[in-house]
Amino acid sequence: MANIREIQSRINSVKDTMKITNAMYMISSSKLTQARKKLADTEPYFYALQGEISRILRHLPELHHSYFNKRENIPAEERKIGSIVITADKGLAGAYNHNIVKLEEEILSKPGQHKLFVVGELGRHYFAKKDVDIDTNFRYTVQKPTMHRARDISAVILDQFNNHELDEVYVVYTRMENAVQSEAEVLKLLPLERGGDFGEMKMPLNMYREEIELNPSPMDVMNSIVPSYINGMIYGCLVEAYASEHNARMMAMKSATDSAQDLIKDLSILYNRARQAAITQEITEVCAGARAQQKKS
Amino acid sequence: MDTFGLKIIASDGVFYEGRCKKLIIPAPDGEKGILANHENMVIAVNVGVAHMSLDGEEWKDIAVGVGFVEIVNNRVTLIVDTAEKPEDIDVRRAQEQKERAEERLRQQQSIQQYYHTQASLARAMNRLRVSQDKKWNL
Repeated sequence: MANIREIQSRINSVKDTMKITNAMYMISSSKLTQARKKLADTEPYFYALQGEISRILRHLPELHHSYFNKRENIPAEERKIGSIVITADKGLAGAYNHNIVKLEEEILSKPGQHKLFVVGELGRHYFAKKDVDIDTNFRYTVQKPTMHRARDISAVILDQFNNHELDEVYVVYTRMENAVQSEAEVLKLLPLERGGDFGEMKMPLNMYREEIELNPSPMDVMNSIVPSYINGMIYGCLVEAYASEHNARMMAMKSATDSAQDLIKDLSILYNRARQAAITQEITEVCAGARAQQKKS
Repeated sequence: MDTFGLKIIASDGVFYEGRCKKLIIPAPDGEKGILANHENMVIAVNVGVAHMSLDGEEWKDIAVGVGFVEIVNNRVTLIVDTAEKPEDIDVRRAQEQKERAEERLRQQQSIQQYYHTQASLARAMNRLRVSQDKKWNL
């Protein structure tokens, strides 16, 4: 059986670790509430934008715009595929980062010329070791997502897409399914897909369609809507990822604290047993000594 | 005077929802006014000042960012990336933002950065313009 002092120091070290995990749990849970509020605030904007593009497409099915151009004439091997990968800045968040990295590896294994835009320090370190093209000017943290940052990111993406430096753009991020569950997901950002996100119309031909005029011109309206849609999309993804990150970290830290408590419980039983054994032994020794003295006299 | 349903959605929440009588928005080719029972239309909106009049008499200014307005069946939805009341604007911050943008414009930068800074400058000047009318007369 282990020495009493050894067990004691083990208990103390577990207790210290537990203090840290507990503090991290509390920090994450307060950040999560903030992130949730932000998410709830953005949702109307996000859904209104999405609904609007689908409405315009429904009423003007023949509308053509460069953001809808799939560039199908480019063969699969030569397509330039960009992915925005949103990871955390730090580890200790359970499987959160791992899931994202795994999804991105899946994309990388497909044919095409890949280019990565990594948001978050951890992912940057991971992919820096791999043999992939990473946009090095693209340095953003994931803490406290703001509209400003989303604007920066979408400006870079749209610019490269318009200059044919990118043919497809994906976002790899984690979406909050509900309060406890979140799932890593790949979202196609560009080119916009008719039917995909925007619920392709399946209207009977004889149905009356409202006439909507686009002012000053359909092109101007689309030019104004699409960048803000992309922008809103990226912002939404950043906020979702931020919320899920803290959710994941909260869960990981909670289970760490719980198992630390279990460990302490087991260790203190062990400690008490060792202490009891030592006392028993001492008593036996004293008794044996006393009896030996009695026999002498 | 007839009213129409107005909903102003900014990226950080719903800015206003309710009935409205007159609305003026900054479009790329000049300001446009919207009254009740307007034709169905989607209009692009530029960075600028929107005016809305809930009772038909008193005008309220709103600093808006880029986006668009959609008019369908007497319901108007204004979707913009930012919408701010004059009293919510921090004049000093807007001033700083303007100076920062101006300084960046003077430096050499790529075309993309140039557009970016220009947009930032436009937003800052717009904020300042809206908050200017609300200055305290001491």
